[in-house]
Amino acid sequence: MTALQRPAQRHGPRRASTVWGPVFFLLLPFLAVYLLFFVWPALQTLWLSFTTSGLTETGPWTGLSNFRTLIGDASFWSALGHTVFFAVLTVIPLTAIGMLMAILTRSGGRLRRVAQAVFFIPYVLPVSVATLIWQWVLNPNLGVVNAATGSQIAWFSDPTLAMPAVAAVTVWWTIGFNMLLFLAGLQNIPQETYEAAALDGAQGGQVFRYITWPALWPTTALVLTLQLVGSFKIFSQVYLLTGGGPFDSTRVVLEYMYDTAFTNTDAGYASAIAVAFFVVILLLTLLQNTLLNRGRA
Amino acid sequence: MKRLLITLALASTTLASQASAATTITFWDLLGGGDGARMQQLVDGFNKSQGTYQIKRTTLAWGIPYYTKVRTSSAVGQGPDLAILHLSRLSGWAEAKILRPIAPAELSSAGLKGSEFFPKLWQASSYSGQNYAVPLDTHPMVLYYNKDILKKAGLLGADGTMTPITSMADFNAALAAIKKTGAQALSFENGPTSYMPWRIWLALIAQQGGSIEQGNKLTYGALGTSTLNTITDWVKNGYAGKNVDYPTSVAQFVNGKAAFMINGVWEAPTLVDGTKAGKIKFGYGVVPFPKLYSNQSTWADSHAFVLPNNVGKAADPDKVKGALQFVAYAEKNALVWAGGGHVPANLTVANGAAFKAMKPNSDYAAVAAQNVTYDPQGWYSGAAGPLEAASAKYFPAAINGQLPVDRAISLFETDAKKLLTSAPKP
Repeated sequence: MTALQRPAQRHGPRRASTVWGPVFFLLLPFLAVYLLFFVWPALQTLWLSFTTSGLTETGPWTGLSNFRTLIGDASFWSALGHTVFFAVLTVIPLTAIGMLMAILTRSGGRLRRVAQAVFFIPYVLPVSVATLIWQWVLNPNLGVVNAATGSQIAWFSDPTLAMPAVAAVTVWWTIGFNMLLFLAGLQNIPQETYEAAALDGAQGGQVFRYITWPALWPTTALVLTLQLVGSFKIFSQVYLLTGGGPFDSTRVVLEYMYDTAFTNTDAGYASAIAVAFFVVILLLTLLQNTLLNRGRA
Repeated sequence: MKRLLITLALASTTLASQASAATTITFWDLLGGGDGARMQQLVDGFNKSQGTYQIKRTTLAWGIPYYTKVRTSSAVGQGPDLAILHLSRLSGWAEAKILRPIAPAELSSAGLKGSEFFPKLWQASSYSGQNYAVPLDTHPMVLYYNKDILKKAGLLGADGTMTPITSMADFNAALAAIKKTGAQALSFENGPTSYMPWRIWLALIAQQGGSIEQGNKLTYGALGTSTLNTITDWVKNGYAGKNVDYPTSVAQFVNGKAAFMINGVWEAPTLVDGTKAGKIKFGYGVVPFPKLYSNQSTWADSHAFVLPNNVGKAADPDKVKGALQFVAYAEKNALVWAGGGHVPANLTVANGAAFKAMKPNSDYAAVAAQNVTYDPQGWYSGAAGPLEAASAKYFPAAINGQLPVDRAISLFETDAKKLLTSAPKP
């Protein structure tokens, strides 16, 4: 036992020293950018959250006072509620429909590539274009949907419909990427497994339930995690489609942070919102990861 | 191909020699659409008129994105040499030292005189005794009308202009008469986060002798609720559409569907150009926002030139000189700018024969400009400022029937009081 381990130990450090030099050198540009544009601003945000700063001038240190205000701030909690509501409306549909699209387009015959391209195209659009299209399509007075159905629904101006409408636009816009991830996942399932299953007499739903679904689970777990973080970070679609309105009913946490920082020029409090939200997302991701990987290790 | 390359090479050398000889002055604005094109005309005209200075213009997105950018960039010394500011924001910005005062000597050496401007605008350009801006225009809220629909409703006089409206009862009766013809009576922007309800509300409160704010306290009293009720009733009674976003509100009028449109003067060129291009088939008129109560107040704001106070970077006197020379050029040629519907701030241009001949501008300009009421002063106030943003959350919701009027007012008050009592953050 010891005799076997010793050469490996002797080998280890020497190999590492030869490899780490160039690795570090090659990583340097990335590390510099990462430290300068990610870590440093993040630390500054943390520091600002303990001050009463404006947009351009740093105010005095006030300790935990911003966070104490935040705990009693009804606007923050309702914004967090709206964010959770958006995540509920998008995470599961985006994962489930993405998987369904991947499976369907893979089994489809000649139209397969066309269908994949069509489903993926919206993801290529910038968010401003995607939202502008839907703003026109769903315009209550001039839009195609209301003209065709004769309805008067104000999709983005109705407090109960606005968030589902934003969620629907988001699903349309981002589903292509999830489909792509699932297509890659499907590619990794060996064809022999399906052949063996067919020989054993597995049919239709059984193939999905016992082969495809379990084999896709790592991809599904990845998509769910990415999607949860992505959905929690919702900002652009809300900002462009509703501006957080009507009367704050779609104001998500990042929109509240934006309003606080840029409309009310209260950067200290906005930083506190950012820090608190970071902690919320961190905890959620950890919780989700534990749940998804339970019993699999 | 060869000839093209030679032309390009020649063009680039002449451009390069021009750029090296002239001092470049950076200029930021938030002017899109037709306003943007007219400002470009002024910039090009100035650049061609002399060889000492070159104005380099950058246009940013209107509202919060623009103001954030100017504010943050000048705080780190990277702001432009010259910028456009809404005068309604001057008090807050001058106090926060984002603007550089313009000395009387600097003004006069560029040939700019305070007496050449509408006194109200010149006053609004200073803060605690120092001048911070040169006003370019007034853009008040006015009333647009469709002559064809008004004729059907019996509201057009023999001279082909609208029968004057002099009270709220008149206005409501006119709206009811138009509704009977089957046309939409009124269009105004009222979608979520729209600012137009605030402007109408502010104007109507001023017409009743009220005010919004004094000494950081809200002062409109019961007028706040009753006035918002009046606006809400226009929608409730079916005179105006619900959830109308800005492009829709203009489209309703331009497509001949709505008889009246309440909007700023900046939509006048849409009608002038549309008629010229044959796209607008109906006759239209523009009048000052009517006197519906005891006076004819109307909401207005002004575009003005300002010099951002770039922190840690002392203003280059040569650049200040060049910037003010451009400002003087723009003021002299404000007729170009007036094509955007705006009333020139410069008295010589505004009272000149050329502007008086400009239609429909001269139909509304004088009266509207005399009766303007601005947003209250304060750090929280002004175009796309936090107070307007608070109103934009609740007023449209009340107008669209999503919130009871008194609830909307009390929600607005909660937000407004928070702003009024908090200290400004630079």
